[in-house]
Amino acid sequence: MSSKRPIDWALYAVFVVLIMLAPLVMDSFWLNRVAKYLVYGMLGAAIALSWGYAGILNLGQGLFFGAGAYMLAMSLKLASQTSLQQGSDKPVPDFMLWNAEPGAPTELCCINKASFLWLPFQSQWFGVAMGLVLPVALAGILGTIVFRKRISGVFVSIITLALVLLVRLVVIDAQPITNGFNGLTDLGWFKVGDLEFDPYVVPTYYLVAVSLSLVLVSARLLVETRAGIILQAVRDDQNRARYLGFDVPSYQTFFFAVSAAIAGFAGMLYVIVSEFASPTFMDLTFSITMVVWAAVGGRSSILGACIGAILINVISATVSETEGFAEAWKAVIGLIFVLVVLYLPRGLGGLAHDLVDRFVVRKRGGGERALRVTSTSSQAAE
Amino acid sequence: MADTALTIDGLSVDFEGFKAVNGVTMTVDEGELRVLLGANGAGKTTLMDLISGKTKSTSGRVFLHDTEITNWEEHKIARAGVGRKFQIPSVFKELTVRRNLEVASCRKPGVFANLRFGFGADAKRTVDQVLELIGLTEEQNQVAAYLSHGQTQWLELGLLITQNPKIILLDEPTAGMTQAETHKTSVIVNNLKGRHTIVVVEHDMAFVREIAERITVLHLGQVLAEGDVREIETNPKVREAYLGTKGIL
Repeated sequence: MSSKRPIDWALYAVFVVLIMLAPLVMDSFWLNRVAKYLVYGMLGAAIALSWGYAGILNLGQGLFFGAGAYMLAMSLKLASQTSLQQGSDKPVPDFMLWNAEPGAPTELCCINKASFLWLPFQSQWFGVAMGLVLPVALAGILGTIVFRKRISGVFVSIITLALVLLVRLVVIDAQPITNGFNGLTDLGWFKVGDLEFDPYVVPTYYLVAVSLSLVLVSARLLVETRAGIILQAVRDDQNRARYLGFDVPSYQTFFFAVSAAIAGFAGMLYVIVSEFASPTFMDLTFSITMVVWAAVGGRSSILGACIGAILINVISATVSETEGFAEAWKAVIGLIFVLVVLYLPRGLGGLAHDLVDRFVVRKRGGGERALRVTSTSSQAAE
Repeated sequence: MADTALTIDGLSVDFEGFKAVNGVTMTVDEGELRVLLGANGAGKTTLMDLISGKTKSTSGRVFLHDTEITNWEEHKIARAGVGRKFQIPSVFKELTVRRNLEVASCRKPGVFANLRFGFGADAKRTVDQVLELIGLTEEQNQVAAYLSHGQTQWLELGLLITQNPKIILLDEPTAGMTQAETHKTSVIVNNLKGRHTIVVVEHDMAFVREIAERITVLHLGQVLAEGDVREIETNPKVREAYLGTKGIL
């Protein structure tokens, strides 16, 4: 196992180099597209962390993605030109005026009952901070309740699924401050000092690519810590871990929250490259789609799930734009999914691990392999 | 007389009218190996559940040395020094044998204390010793799911030994084992005698004879008799309630 680690890290390095070199061969349109796919890749990694490593199948990851996205989008909305042109010296989102009661003052503090919530978002960095704090807080509260109550397996999935739909409804319903179905559009650009992140320029791509690289490496390091290994033990047998003296819910909640933080971070990056936030982020289909990416890529591999997300999106983009497949591309994606589930139950990541195994073992003269074969066959014999 | 390691005082649990354990009082000395015997439904496993916190008792108390641990949370009882092996072998299947033991060697219960790499040199030494003791040194880099049934049982014993609790509760450690495997298990358990206080639930009389010092017989949730192997075998009440009719002795 330890002999495989350098190869694992080498694969991470190859991936990072590849995404860093992408701007050399792509125009700005594709660069913006690929930046979005890298954000999806980050979501895949978040799913792998909670599903593959913690054994928590979250069918509502879109909740954390959406929370991150909305928090930053609120700040960027206030930074946009139109918000400054609403007849006040302070920015006010245009949609608030469309919905305002007659005679309401054009001020963020009091244009409607809840608009004051927007006040601190005049600082972009408040939005950024909240984009991490809110998902983590939500996951922390949810996790503490669910895991202390020892709810597990499919019940957690059902709760997360119900929750994302509930929050989606609330967001749509709170139209005066969220712009309902339409979401937050016409956003300003993310700024760091004098640098403005126009979604179609190379620095924005690098913002995403570097963020993704950091997230992947940190997540991978995190699961190699003692806590990460104990987490995997908890996934395999909660009770055993409990009777060895581990505070099981603290592990589950912590990693659930980390996964939420990654999703929230991805949500913010998505807002930067796509310039909108909408309730569709919290659609059921989107959350399920993330799980499909991770399943195809391999849920027990952080890098695998990330690549799975990117690959599926690249394929669906190219196939759906190929003449003749314009109608049938969903069937193609469905077929890939079915084939992977049937023939590669551990996804592409699992396939890669097996190949590495074979390669490493052959070089060593097959001793370990013989052992493996006997142990597997003795298990089969039972 | 040695110190008392485990004191059970009038322990009862009431499952909606059915008293699975009813007023059990017993003490186990430091370093003693105690076998719990009894027919199906006598309350052996339930008694272990009560001691280890899996089931909450409705009356009575449990002491570990001088600390009352009645109805604590499981992981706190475990930290206080009670280790438990389950009837169905449970190990961490997707981790390697060595990783399994490393996890057990970890002394910090919470997540934040464990946000660091490696288990340390002490852990490595302990794990090596335990691997030797349970005879899985060769298999240490195998994923636990590939182990045979017997090996899985030994690995779970290994987890307990690594955890190094004051009291070890073993629930049918030889269930489903071949004769040779049972014998090896008794060697491992005998090796633990004196270093740990051990309470074993077991049906296999051959195994009981190999390891037992004192036996407590439970019947219908109550203590029926207590004594050494010979006393128990000749006790008329025990024969009548459990052993006699089938003559498994």
